[in-house]
Amino acid sequence: MAAAKNIDELSPAHKQVASHLQGKFGKRLLETSSFRGDLTYVVSPQDWLEVLTYCRDAEELRFDRLDSLLGNHFPEREDQPFEVIAHLVSIPHTTRIRIKTRLAEGETLPTVTGVWPSASFDERETWEMFGVVFEGHPNLTRLLTVPDFDGYPLRKDFPLQGRVGGRIRWNFKGEI
Amino acid sequence: MGIADPRDPRQIRDLTSALRTPSNVEVQKALEAEEDHIPGVTVTTLDKVLNFGSTVSYWPLLFGLACCAFEMMAMAGPRWDISRFGMEAMRASPRQADGMIISGWVSIKMAPRVIRLYEQIPDPKWVVVMGSCATSGNIWNTYNVVQGIDALLPVDVYIPGCPPRPEALWQGLEMIRRRIREGRHGYDNMRTIPVRAALGE
Repeated sequence: MAAAKNIDELSPAHKQVASHLQGKFGKRLLETSSFRGDLTYVVSPQDWLEVLTYCRDAEELRFDRLDSLLGNHFPEREDQPFEVIAHLVSIPHTTRIRIKTRLAEGETLPTVTGVWPSASFDERETWEMFGVVFEGHPNLTRLLTVPDFDGYPLRKDFPLQGRVGGRIRWNFKGEI
Repeated sequence: MGIADPRDPRQIRDLTSALRTPSNVEVQKALEAEEDHIPGVTVTTLDKVLNFGSTVSYWPLLFGLACCAFEMMAMAGPRWDISRFGMEAMRASPRQADGMIISGWVSIKMAPRVIRLYEQIPDPKWVVVMGSCATSGNIWNTYNVVQGIDALLPVDVYIPGCPPRPEALWQGLEMIRRRIREGRHGYDNMRTIPVRAALGE
């Protein structure tokens, strides 16, 4: 009977990805962690576009699919409360990786719609829910809420109850 | 007598005598006995006939909003089968529908579309509000959910539940059929629909 596999252990393909990224970027990867076989790297906002472009283009990595791009808010981190997370999937190598970056209030991030066009909706949602501006996005408009919505609903300081920020729009012109 | 035996020729003869058409003499006798009675004619109003016809052909709008819509689909499917009541033809166009089942919570962005669909349905129309979200907003007292669609539309029947079982929807539709038969609507005694009244239009 085979021994139970340690779920925290990296698979050989993931080990290859880890060594390749460490060799390429070195100290520019601010933090590295792995949880249940999934790799996570934290990069600075200045390296965001470069690291993601390299992840897609390098022959050994080939992360050709952006699974999702999302935001998070940590009000207890006073200097950099926002996090943007990209989940990447490599179909040829069957690997998965998570790249994070941390942002201060008002700090912007370059868009990755030029790398993966599917990032467009994800970045629009992250912008409307957290207020993270993606520079160079072709159409950074509200996706889920009404166009004149006030506030960023997924920030932790947004009130949970009550009709804050949203109003029913009656002007249908150009809407339907 | 005893138990009727279909092979007994007497039984068959008795049955045929009961079912035969009355002769002219017999009809004449019956008419003389009761002068008001005219056999084979019923008197009613045109409204009642039309309402009776509508009860067996209530076509809701093909319009699902959230998880309650799955119970509505189950109701339309073969197990509960609303085609027994003439409701199976869910119209994808509001111009052909007789009403709508608001099946799920209405977001603030969706509310104008719901109003527009309601207004496109020709009169007379009946609205079923299905589930507690559309009725009152349920637990979502939040930034994006309308707290009860009855603030915007005239509603005929509310169905509680989260989501209601298809049997509950069935009972709600039976109540709609009763209202159709009686000629009652949610917008009776309303000068305008609530959302227009709120806007002052």
